[in-house]
Amino acid sequence: MSNDVVICLSASSGYDRVAQGVAGAGRELADELGGSLCAVIVGAAADETVSGVAAVADAVIVADQPELADYQPESYLAAFEQTCRQLEPAAVLLGNDTVGLELTPRLAARLGGSPMSDGTGLRVVDGAIRVTRSAYGGKAEAVFELKRSPAVVWVRARGFEPAPPTGDGAAVERAALELPVAATRIVERHVEEQEGIPLDDARLVVGGGRGLGGAEPFDDLRSLAAVMKAAVGASRSACDEGWVPPSYQIGQTGKKIAPELYLAVAISGAAQHMLGVSDAKALCAINTDPEAPIFRNCHFGIVEDYRKVVPPLIERLRELKQ
Amino acid sequence: MTPDLATREIGWNISVIWLMYLLLVPTVVVAGYGLWRRIRLWRCGHPVARLDRPAERFGLVLRHALLQMRTARQLYAGGFHLMIFTGFVILAIATTVVMLDFDFHTDIMKGSFYLVFQSLIVDLFGGLVLVGVGLAAVRRWVHRPKQLVYTDQASWLLVLIFAIALTGFLVEGWRIAATRDPWAEWSPIGNLVASVSVPLMSDEALRAAHLTGWWIHLLLVYGFIAWAPWTKLAHVVTAPLAIFAGNLDGYGRDLKPIDFESEAPLGVASLEQFSWKDLLDLDACTECGRCTAVCPANAVGKALSPRDIVLDLRTLMHSKGNELMATPGLDSEEDPRIPVIDGSTAVAPEALFECTTCAACLEACPVYIEQLPKIVDTRRFLVMEEADYPQTMADAITSLEQRGHPFPGAQFSRVDWAEGLGISVLSELDDPSEIDVLLWVGCANALLERNHATVRAVATLLQDAGVSFAILGREERCTGDPARRIGNEFVFEQLATKNIELLQRYGVRGILTCCPHCYHTLANDYPLLGGEFEVEHHVAFLAGLVKEGRLIPSDQDGPSATFHDPCYLGRYNGILEAPRELVRSATGAQPVEMAAHRSAGFCCGGGGGMSFAEEPPEQRVNRERARQALATDAEVVSVACPFCMTMLEDGVGALAGDREVKVKDVAELLRDAVAPIEKD
Amino acid sequence: MASSGHTQRGDGGAKLNILVCVKQILDPDVPARDFRIDPERMEAIRGGASLVPNVFCENALETALQLRDATGGSVTALTFGTEEAEEVLRKALAMTADQAALVVRGDGPAPDALTVARVLAAAARTLGEFDVVMVGRESGDWGIGQTGGLLAEELGLPMVALVDQVTASGPGVSMRRQTDYGSDTVETTGSVLVTITNCEGNVPRIPKTRDVMKSYRKPLTTWQVGELGVDNGDTIAEIVELSIPGKEVACEFVEGDNLDEKVDAFARRIAEVMGAIG
Repeated sequence: MSNDVVICLSASSGYDRVAQGVAGAGRELADELGGSLCAVIVGAAADETVSGVAAVADAVIVADQPELADYQPESYLAAFEQTCRQLEPAAVLLGNDTVGLELTPRLAARLGGSPMSDGTGLRVVDGAIRVTRSAYGGKAEAVFELKRSPAVVWVRARGFEPAPPTGDGAAVERAALELPVAATRIVERHVEEQEGIPLDDARLVVGGGRGLGGAEPFDDLRSLAAVMKAAVGASRSACDEGWVPPSYQIGQTGKKIAPELYLAVAISGAAQHMLGVSDAKALCAINTDPEAPIFRNCHFGIVEDYRKVVPPLIERLRELKQ
Repeated sequence: MTPDLATREIGWNISVIWLMYLLLVPTVVVAGYGLWRRIRLWRCGHPVARLDRPAERFGLVLRHALLQMRTARQLYAGGFHLMIFTGFVILAIATTVVMLDFDFHTDIMKGSFYLVFQSLIVDLFGGLVLVGVGLAAVRRWVHRPKQLVYTDQASWLLVLIFAIALTGFLVEGWRIAATRDPWAEWSPIGNLVASVSVPLMSDEALRAAHLTGWWIHLLLVYGFIAWAPWTKLAHVVTAPLAIFAGNLDGYGRDLKPIDFESEAPLGVASLEQFSWKDLLDLDACTECGRCTAVCPANAVGKALSPRDIVLDLRTLMHSKGNELMATPGLDSEEDPRIPVIDGSTAVAPEALFECTTCAACLEACPVYIEQLPKIVDTRRFLVMEEADYPQTMADAITSLEQRGHPFPGAQFSRVDWAEGLGISVLSELDDPSEIDVLLWVGCANALLERNHATVRAVATLLQDAGVSFAILGREERCTGDPARRIGNEFVFEQLATKNIELLQRYGVRGILTCCPHCYHTLANDYPLLGGEFEVEHHVAFLAGLVKEGRLIPSDQDGPSATFHDPCYLGRYNGILEAPRELVRSATGAQPVEMAAHRSAGFCCGGGGGMSFAEEPPEQRVNRERARQALATDAEVVSVACPFCMTMLEDGVGALAGDREVKVKDVAELLRDAVAPIEKD
Repeated sequence: MASSGHTQRGDGGAKLNILVCVKQILDPDVPARDFRIDPERMEAIRGGASLVPNVFCENALETALQLRDATGGSVTALTFGTEEAEEVLRKALAMTADQAALVVRGDGPAPDALTVARVLAAAARTLGEFDVVMVGRESGDWGIGQTGGLLAEELGLPMVALVDQVTASGPGVSMRRQTDYGSDTVETTGSVLVTITNCEGNVPRIPKTRDVMKSYRKPLTTWQVGELGVDNGDTIAEIVELSIPGKEVACEFVEGDNLDEKVDAFARRIAEVMGAIG
């Protein structure tokens, strides 16, 4: 076993903010372990993806044979497994995307390692890797010491600074793998029409909750978001009501966002929702109930019915922008 | 002639009088069949003990059928109804007198009795019928209030009554004119007809008109008698019966516990699953619409209409009469035989879950129809057998099952409000029986931050008055009220059984609670399950402490206040005076009353599990009640219930605009007025 | 595990036997101010709080029941927990699961995901063959979300994560799963393990009272964990620190004599941030 860190990336998302954060986390950990950082990119990777990764990693392995053109859980799992077996790393990091969530435990099981999820901090104590993460719906914070090697962790990538460039580009190696016949197959990908700015990387986010009372008020939030150049999200209850699709969901079990400012509209602020916005730099809220838990985490707020606030707020923000 | 001999010839000018007796046979048969058929339908209902305590029941009939105390609450409608009613009673007595005199040869219709009663009084009361019908006609065709049902039947009945009274006077007048009746002046209206007719008509014409008029009058009366039992006028018989079988035990105490061991369906889904009183109610309805007129949900534009629930069920009962009578009293777990819950009628699931169980309909009904139990019975079926009811109410019930309180996501524990007050917790006392009273806090007080001030006020007032008390703390659990009102009797019973067991284990006797819902449930529902406690609500308890001089409010003038009667305190339990006494003690003045107050109070919108329902803003009962409260111009809207508190604070907040209006519990008002005792 | 013996349903497809693994957890709704930690056991102190079914497990049950209702077959609920965990199985039975099995563990701190996966796998093999195994995506207590994947490896099944709908498709099933960009349709011909996430279509049904009453009369398969012969050897992780993060920030409510002024103040605060980020 080496002291190296492997980061597992899927080619289709490119070298995006998640990949950058994973690489950043990987570099920090590799430095602490005294090992190198190796990136495995599976899928038909664009040149700029490869070069982007090569600029920050010490080694890059690209597995881009035709069977791996699109993400398929079983074949991607096999690809990561085989490359990791060769590299024998101390740690394998993945991002907080579908691929990371889906493959982490199985990859760990196959490598005989320890899986862990949603890491917000990684450190090495007496040679053991420790992962910090929230627990009990955000009410507690726990540090887990991983007992088996390698540590296979998906991290909350946006919380990590992007990896710094190494200065000299890493060598890129292409892997030729023998892949099993997949028992499951993604037969259709439905890309949801995202109106406006995507939630994940937005620097401003407007969220709507159960207090909105229906699907229509989200149109007002979209207008507000348009003026703010913000993305629109929602609480779990608003998604459960079917007012917006599940992709809007912010929270423990939805998207975890890290904007500069999060504006919560008619959201009471249940712990599960607050977990999704705990990385936001600042919070503010519109709510009729001054005792709503949301205000306990807000930097500023307005106690009013959102119906009375949103239309003049749009006007006012438009004026202020000029 | 001397008045002693005054009388008139019965059957004057009528030749084939036997025909009258002959026609009576089909009349009675048709009328009797109409009533008999109704009675057979009622008998298909479940048994219910509603013929016990006859003395009380006759008292009820006396007050509400004969004296019409409830009917009279609406001055105009109650007034003309009383005119028509008393008119008919007097006319019926007069007809009986005629029968006794003529058919039984009693020879009683003479002398001053004939002149004063049989002529003058009967004439005047007959006139009253005409006036009454006139007023009714004005209401039906000119005022056209929303609460009425506008059917052809109702119009024709009015026309018929008018025609009967009118032909009666015409016949009387023409007889007076033709016979030159010496006692004519004792029949002023008949005499008026006579004096108009004499110059216009010959004796021959008078006799002919009288004969024709007499037969027309008779046919109208017979027609009326035969038809009435088939119409809403059946209430002449059915209403007194419904009143007789009415609920003597107070609102809410009539909700039947369920035997969960039996295989019978839970709740009511099919017509035969109602009790016979429920079915009798359907026939007793007079279509007056008062229940719907006072229904808070209906007032804010929701679908719920207690009147239409009764009327649609009545239509169903009569259209499915044969099916109902086919196999009476048989229950089955299979699909309901005569389904009562139907989205295309007033008994729609959506409407049933709009009811706040405020009991305003029960209080308004002049004939003691029980609309609310029918709503809860059908809710029980939807909740327990179908699990088909609003998700947010289901979430509250799931939370009751899992956490013993109906507020998922509550941010407080049961003891946070008591921080720093040094209140004993029952489980920590060496001898729990030492305390005077257990303070039952209530979930809505403990878990909703706004209500902490209320319980703190109550607790510190008790401390100042030297009352020794304790709380259950984390051992307290919901009484089960929301489950019971929403219709989940199963969850109610589970909670109640656990609570009774806990209270009995501690040997608790006296309970003081800060929530009318807890109060009602502990005081009235728990005895059904074997839990007998002496329960008081804080308004009564505090009023007692003030009266005894253990709490002395300062005589400074406080803010002007109105008082909102919580349904479960006022209407349900008759606690109307104590909160007003407290407001008076605390502010130095009587509360400014809203138009709907005391037993006629208008719900805050929070009862019956509606606190846990999603409502569109324009259909929120609390806004309407807040509007009424703001219309009093009082500085404080005082309440005595944690649900009313949150409902009215929300409503007042939305509507007060620039005005500074506070919503406060009466205990808070009293706390402001009683100087706190410094503790060592 | 590969199901060979399943019977045919009316439309030619197979009747599906579904295993749903459920977990009882400490009520996630415990108010934050009531939340305490036991530093010895490295877990939350239960105090007066309730134990409740994990909500994603209920979503999984609902998804399974819908699939069963559409295809025939059966739903088996399985849990690994303390004696009290019987309650979640009673709830599952009340929701009309066909059978339920409980593996009882001692009162010590909760075992880690690998131990849980091994115990569940042993119990699943004993219970029979399943076409679909459903697991909630994560639990509302630790929320680690690794059990499903580890169980798939123990059982040698392919796995699809974050599924919110499963329908019968030919001999296997078709799954809709939530992704970063929307959703995928995933198909399989053989047995599969899925982790279930929530959507409007799998809000757990409210049990009917009659089914609640019946659930207490249904039999329950119960094992002590020792009886399953699981090698309880290595663990994947040890909790070395557990703490309650620091206090909340103070919210500044915008002030103003009327709505316009308040909205103006609010807008200015937002515009500050907008200006700062350009």
